Amino acid sequence: MKRKVIFIALVLVPLVAFLSAPCMPKAYAAAKPVIIGVPTSLYTPFGKEGLKAVKMAVEEINANGGVMVGDEKRPFKVVVSDTRGGEPGTPVHDALMAYEKLITKEKPHAIVIGAFRSEVLIASMDLVAKYKIPQLGTIAQSPKFQAQFKTDPAKYKYLFRVTTDALVPAGYLAHTLDKLKADFGLNKVYIIYQDTLWAQALAGFMKKHCATNGWTEVGYDPYAAGANDFSPALSNAKEGGAQAIAMVWDVPMGAGVFAKQYVAMKVPALLIGFIPPIAAPTAVQTVGPEVEYSLSVEFPAGSSLALKKMPSTGAFLNKFKKKYGALPEAAAVNSSAYDSVFILAAAIEKAGSLDPDQLVAALEKTDYKGASGRIRFNENHIAVFGEKDANETGVAVVFQWQKTSAGNLERVPVYPGFLAEGKIMLPPWMK
Amino acid sequence: MSLFIYGLINSVILALYAVGFSLTYGISGLANFAHGALYILSGFTAWTFIHTAGLPMGLAAVLSIAVTALLGFVFYWVLLLRVRGVALAELIVTFAAGVAILELLMWKGFYGIRYSLQPFIRGGIEIGNVGVDYQRLIVLSTGIILVILLYLFVHHSKVGLAFRAMAQNERTALSVGIESDWIGSLSLAFGSALAATAAIVVLPLGMMESTVGWEVLIYALAVAIVGGLESTLGMIIGSFIIGFGQVAAAKYIGPKWMIIVPLAAIVLVLVVKPSGLFGKFKELEERV
Repeated sequence: MKRKVIFIALVLVPLVAFLSAPCMPKAYAAAKPVIIGVPTSLYTPFGKEGLKAVKMAVEEINANGGVMVGDEKRPFKVVVSDTRGGEPGTPVHDALMAYEKLITKEKPHAIVIGAFRSEVLIASMDLVAKYKIPQLGTIAQSPKFQAQFKTDPAKYKYLFRVTTDALVPAGYLAHTLDKLKADFGLNKVYIIYQDTLWAQALAGFMKKHCATNGWTEVGYDPYAAGANDFSPALSNAKEGGAQAIAMVWDVPMGAGVFAKQYVAMKVPALLIGFIPPIAAPTAVQTVGPEVEYSLSVEFPAGSSLALKKMPSTGAFLNKFKKKYGALPEAAAVNSSAYDSVFILAAAIEKAGSLDPDQLVAALEKTDYKGASGRIRFNENHIAVFGEKDANETGVAVVFQWQKTSAGNLERVPVYPGFLAEGKIMLPPWMK
Repeated sequence: MSLFIYGLINSVILALYAVGFSLTYGISGLANFAHGALYILSGFTAWTFIHTAGLPMGLAAVLSIAVTALLGFVFYWVLLLRVRGVALAELIVTFAAGVAILELLMWKGFYGIRYSLQPFIRGGIEIGNVGVDYQRLIVLSTGIILVILLYLFVHHSKVGLAFRAMAQNERTALSVGIESDWIGSLSLAFGSALAATAAIVVLPLGMMESTVGWEVLIYALAVAIVGGLESTLGMIIGSFIIGFGQVAAAKYIGPKWMIIVPLAAIVLVLVVKPSGLFGKFKELEERV
């Protein structure tokens, strides 16, 4: 009896496989995948959630048969390397080794997400240029990218930035400060930032903006990325009579300490900036109800907050929530990671080839409307962002934690005007 | 005023980081390089008890301390017994165990901005125009109470006296019937429990991330090296030197230099007095 079952199985399995083969899309079944490399820092919310967004986009494209390369439809395949570049203490060199290992071992046709820390991005530019692999970066934010790009555009032409650079959220924050000044008469600011490339650029921009727009700078303090006590700056802010504290930080631990310490020390100043635990959808549970009134910039739009006036953000986030059971953890760069795969797919189809130079030429002509707005690249290969219209450029958004009539805290978009769903509210202790 | 208050609080936090490490080393000569990993592991254990088992914070804290102590105890008998007495091997084993714990936590997803223990009491008070939250005051009180309890324990309990005997002379302690492996494993269990206690009171001040384990280990080492590895008094003094040093550095040089203080203190002490300010292990050689 046992032999009979084995015999039938041996005959039936190949037979079923043979008969069912013509039913499958021939090109898809036979085609070699297009490899997308993701060398990034996976033990960070930005890397982890970005990868989820990339995988979601790849599944959507593959569900439709894949991407058309010439006259052949080929599926995408994602290969990942954890550079750990976002963890304090990881040397740039170690992150680069992980980057290069992915390139040489997996031989990706393109890279998305890329470096987490700007220091790694700048150092990896030569590497990517050497191997001639088109890269659509979606995390690292330093404007030094375009400075490096300008030194040799022919060499660095394979590198693109799909997301904002630090000056974009800086502009949004600076203009929100202007609103605070115009609406409530605030004019004293204390700037605190993480001493890393992207945060230096962001804080530097705000410093200049405040100096030329009637703000008095009470303090301007860089902190090491591993810092875990902000009492000196917060004390100075309190003693100096700061009315707004602009804070830029991305390392979760320090950001969490700051968020709680700001609340604990009762500094009578409005908090504005980018502090992941405070900006996150879960902020009320992790930091506490004291997040009320804090203002955060989400860059680009659609990273974690669905905007009523920009349906593409909700479309992405609803799919994300349905697939993974929760909204993305961090209020930054997730929508860029999602968009990057579609931008790559469109460029491959336009080029009709995976040849890096043809792909770069097609990427340069990108005009894509995605979750983060309209994405087009400028001459330095960075996506163009603005503050006026998501049909013209990519956009970001500033929101404030406000109490609803039901007593719940929710994130209300307050800037720019065309995305705003409410007005900035001043806490009662500042009136 | 804020320099004094936050200098004091930061010093006590450092002392809490280091007290378990120092106690274990002082009794059994074991430098437990998994100390920081056990610290953050206990934080995540408490979080898991609260958020998956639905336990109240108090019970979760007690269970987490008990689990961490048990882990330290088992750790001795399973991993350290075979290499006991070979200092370098002990160091490698504890370091490897620490790395394994932290990597395991990361692999299981314990990183990011989702994990946070809530303060025992929300809110705070003003002390001379300096805002201080209740949780930091709880940290301060815990540090003081812990030092008093430790003093009473090692001077007035049977196990505590055995600890002291082992710390003073292991062979003599053996000759009067004190079993060294038993005391060694207990010292590791106590050190681990102290790491867990520190985690339960300090972690609600911020977020929980696996990489915190490294930071705690570095601070514990810095404090112990500055004060003297086996000296409890040295540990306390070392905490105050680094704690106030950091706040002063932030005030007078700039906040980004705070992080340099413990490393600079280690280098300085190793150059001037390698045994530490109150260490006695190599005091004679140093004098000669």
